[in-house]
Amino acid sequence: MYLLKLAFKNLLRAKRRALLSSAAIVLGVFYLIVGQSFIAGVDEGVIYGVVHGTTSHVTIRPADYPTEGMDHPVDELVEITPALRSWLDDNTTAWTARTMFVGTVTSDKESLRIRVIGYDPDTDPEVFSHATWTEPDPLPRGTDAGVMLTSGTAGLLGVEKGDSIVIEARTHKGAVNAISVPVAAVSRTGNFMFDNAAVFMPDALVTSFLRTQHPTHVSMRLTNRDNSSAVKEELTALGAGAWGLIDWWDDSKDLVEIGQIRRNALNVLVGIMMLMAAMAIANTILMAAHERTREIGTLRAMGMSKNGVLGLFLAEGSLLGLVAGTLGAVGGAALTWYLAQNPIDLNAMEGQAETIGNDVAYSAFIYVAFSVPIVVVPLVISILVALVASIYPARLASNMEPADAVRAE
Amino acid sequence: MALCEINNVTKTYGEGAAQVHAVKDVTLTIEAGEFTAFVGPSGSGKTTLLNQVGCLDKPTSGSISIDGVGTSGLGDKALSQVRGDKIGFIFQSYNLIPVLTAAENVELALTLAKESGGRARAVELLNEVGLEGLADRRPNQLSGGQQQRVAVARALVKRPALVIADEPTANLDSASGTQILNLMRELNAKHGVTFLFSTHDPMVMEHARRIVVLRDGEVIEDRAGGEAISVSNVGVAAVKA
Repeated sequence: MYLLKLAFKNLLRAKRRALLSSAAIVLGVFYLIVGQSFIAGVDEGVIYGVVHGTTSHVTIRPADYPTEGMDHPVDELVEITPALRSWLDDNTTAWTARTMFVGTVTSDKESLRIRVIGYDPDTDPEVFSHATWTEPDPLPRGTDAGVMLTSGTAGLLGVEKGDSIVIEARTHKGAVNAISVPVAAVSRTGNFMFDNAAVFMPDALVTSFLRTQHPTHVSMRLTNRDNSSAVKEELTALGAGAWGLIDWWDDSKDLVEIGQIRRNALNVLVGIMMLMAAMAIANTILMAAHERTREIGTLRAMGMSKNGVLGLFLAEGSLLGLVAGTLGAVGGAALTWYLAQNPIDLNAMEGQAETIGNDVAYSAFIYVAFSVPIVVVPLVISILVALVASIYPARLASNMEPADAVRAE
Repeated sequence: MALCEINNVTKTYGEGAAQVHAVKDVTLTIEAGEFTAFVGPSGSGKTTLLNQVGCLDKPTSGSISIDGVGTSGLGDKALSQVRGDKIGFIFQSYNLIPVLTAAENVELALTLAKESGGRARAVELLNEVGLEGLADRRPNQLSGGQQQRVAVARALVKRPALVIADEPTANLDSASGTQILNLMRELNAKHGVTFLFSTHDPMVMEHARRIVVLRDGEVIEDRAGGEAISVSNVGVAAVKA
């Protein structure tokens, strides 16, 4: 204990030097915490966008359903057989049916080719959270209530709630059909795939418009999303190969893996910063050892062993790392915690929605992921870096000959 | 009773033609309770010999025992323990730890010797050396004489068998130097602590009960016993030679 006390007092005797040499650690830890939290938050944003936007935990689609772009055919459908219904009721916490198709939407001012999502107004919110929707309830239902436009779509079409639009699309059998429907609601969903260009249409209207008896998608929520692979295997057996199955990980892994690349790049950058910090700390402790040669000799004369001197200087280096790491961790944790409570709304940023595009089911809110390990691990790393950086100067100090050291000028 | 036995101790530095014999075949016995001065000109080997006795350095040949413990074959840890348990040091430049208060400096000696007593014992010693009320001052808030008193208290607090003082008055004015010497004499008489110190200060020699004169690493005179030794008859000529 006295070693720590003495080490702490020694650090305080050259406060400015200690502060300067530890600045790289402060910044490195801060940068690592905030950066890792952002990347983890972006990963969760991707997953959130997929789970609550398009795929939920597992989705059944027709076999060979296209996986990318604005291609949503309705010639092949998913029949909800009694066996499938029974399985869904027994093995999911909630499930819903959606029909996705592409139509041309025309207003008085503009015409757009966009994605239309047919939904079940009763079960859709149980599977796909509408918590980020600006007008979640009530959703239009039935054949006469109209449709809901996302805010970006309404803006592009130049329409408001109460206006009428015309939707034109091919039916299940391939014929061209068109309907005029009122805009019952305009809402922002918090999902870039929809907010830029999408129409939400009640399933009853979809059935009459496209002449379909079945949906194109059956999506489900599980008790634990990590069980999705096992569920896919069960459904593969149940559907006898008639369905195409996709889970949340299939839909998000590309973006999450890009996030991993970013994480690795961040780690390399922080590693370089920590290396710089290590050199600064090694230099600081080395200077301290040279300046305090006589003190080292005195301590040795008073009975301190070589290991005691080694321990004293290692303690000084570690304390420097602890103090600097704590400063960086407190700053990083405070900012991360704040952003975790107050997510960044990318929709509020001018031009962001257009930049990201409408093919990515990505949450429009960046939830920075605050967690104890994200804060503690960089702190521990900073202490270890400082400890390792102190080994050489500490050994130099401990190997000083006491007879020479005690009379050093 | 012999407290310290120095047998045929030689210390050399360098090799071949550049070899220097700092101490040559010195044999001495220091009895418990002695107040002995090593005197001689600069380069005579006083400090080198004190380093060997104080276990700060190892002799090239010969052996030394302190309080019955042979130190020649000991490793760093054991030597550190001997220094911590049996030897107190007083240095010319006081060598106090600047970030610690007077009491903490003294207490540190107890901690390193793994002895109990803590601050209370440290303050008791500081009071005994005349530093009442100054226990919480840092070294830079004390005069040279006061700092050396702290160093004396630090050397004595763990009740060592031997106190080694290397030129203890060299950085002090004559009044402060005299006070320190009187203090050391008092403590020697009161506690029976053995003092072994180096000096070339005639005033210090006057206080010594035994004077060992060194020149070129060899003992050329060893006068023991009696009261204060006259400057004129104890090797001062040799010292000044």
